[in-house]
Amino acid sequence: MTNNLLTIKDLHASIGGKEILKGVNLVINEGEVHAIMGPNGAGKSTLSAVLTGNPAYEVTAGEVYLKGQNLLEMVPEVRARAGVFLSFQYPVEIPGVSMTNFMRTAINEKRAYEGKEPLSAKEFLSLMREKKKLLELPDKLNNRSVNEGFSGGEKKKNEIFQMAMLNPCLAILDETDSGLDIDALRIVAEGVNRLKSPENASIVITHYQRLLDYIVPDFVHVLADGKIVKTGDKSLALELEEKGYEGLNL
Amino acid sequence: MSEITIYSGETFERVFLNEPNIDLHITQEADSHVKIHLLYLPSKSSSLSLGEGRGEVWVTQAGRDCSTEIYALAFLHGEEKVTTETHVKHAVGEGTSNQLIKFVLADKSRGRFVGNLKIAQDAQKTEAHQTNRNLLLSDEAEMRTQPQLEIYADDVKATHGASTGQLDDSALFYMQQRGIDKQKARQLLVGAFMKDVLATISDETLKEQLLNSIDGVVE
Repeated sequence: MTNNLLTIKDLHASIGGKEILKGVNLVINEGEVHAIMGPNGAGKSTLSAVLTGNPAYEVTAGEVYLKGQNLLEMVPEVRARAGVFLSFQYPVEIPGVSMTNFMRTAINEKRAYEGKEPLSAKEFLSLMREKKKLLELPDKLNNRSVNEGFSGGEKKKNEIFQMAMLNPCLAILDETDSGLDIDALRIVAEGVNRLKSPENASIVITHYQRLLDYIVPDFVHVLADGKIVKTGDKSLALELEEKGYEGLNL
Repeated sequence: MSEITIYSGETFERVFLNEPNIDLHITQEADSHVKIHLLYLPSKSSSLSLGEGRGEVWVTQAGRDCSTEIYALAFLHGEEKVTTETHVKHAVGEGTSNQLIKFVLADKSRGRFVGNLKIAQDAQKTEAHQTNRNLLLSDEAEMRTQPQLEIYADDVKATHGASTGQLDDSALFYMQQRGIDKQKARQLLVGAFMKDVLATISDETLKEQLLNSIDGVVE
């Protein structure tokens, strides 16, 4: 028995009056990994921005449900607390806000939403220690400002670290492989794989087949000109790598 | 107006917290050190309203090897107004001065900074820095900045910079995406903006007290 996690129906969205998503349909069940591939400008990052409620984008038509709840009616922080997590393509630097303060605020807001007591300082720090090991991140991370002065690889590891801390039901990885060397890619992918469970799902947005060697998708979708134009299994990614988008005769 | 002379080898430190009128004239003799904080942090909970505040600090380095540090921070609400003026004069050389001035302006509050820095012809090997950063939290808040630099010596290191901006939308969204309430995210960003001024206070107890009051989350 598979449970539905996310349903996207005929989603249209625009930025600055320009329509980017032109009718996206997608159904994701618990336990599944969906890869979304497609040429530049196809709307891959717009899809992640719209699902997380980025105010720069306007939804002009369509519906999105997370576990039956109307996702589009929720403000961004409520979507996050309900379990939608975005690993940003370009993680934002926040000078003066320490990782500890940031993460503790985030975790306790999510716990309050779930009707749970805040974590004690001790519980919180031991959770930080446990999850940092998963991503092979150094201890000194705690006192550093969020993403400030982090290398490209450290920023991406830090995204997956935050994902491990927040334990989302839907993780969206937006070009998490971009800018990673092969060692960092392996660590990030292993982190993602260890967080996989029968109750959660992920959307992996990528340009390259390479990441999908590590995070094996159940479905591969090709997004082109604002629509999903083809869906297949992992062999579709290999076919794309070989023939390019033009070779698909879309 | 208070006139103070800081004698050779002495250090003078003073934190002014929510004092509406400050007019301080300091003369520094050789090898003396001055550190001043002008802080306007009216607490909303105590319903203390500052109304209008004016702080002037005049410092003349009359002897060599002096250091002068001036830090100012104002977090204003409602129709509060604060003017901060600094007049730093390097009359002789081999001294340093460092100024960091920050305003956070909410609602219809007004801030004004006049920063006069004078390096006299004889004040060779002076090192002087002046930075003014301002954060506007509302469209109706207003900041005026007037840096005035008069540099007559040629062998000096002097920098100045002034900028006024708003909260970073991408940082706000990033925090919201992690489940942090938008209002809380704004508080964290404002706190982060103000921290570096407070971090320069030498009195550890007062520093911790002020940092905690802006933070909301104890680390």
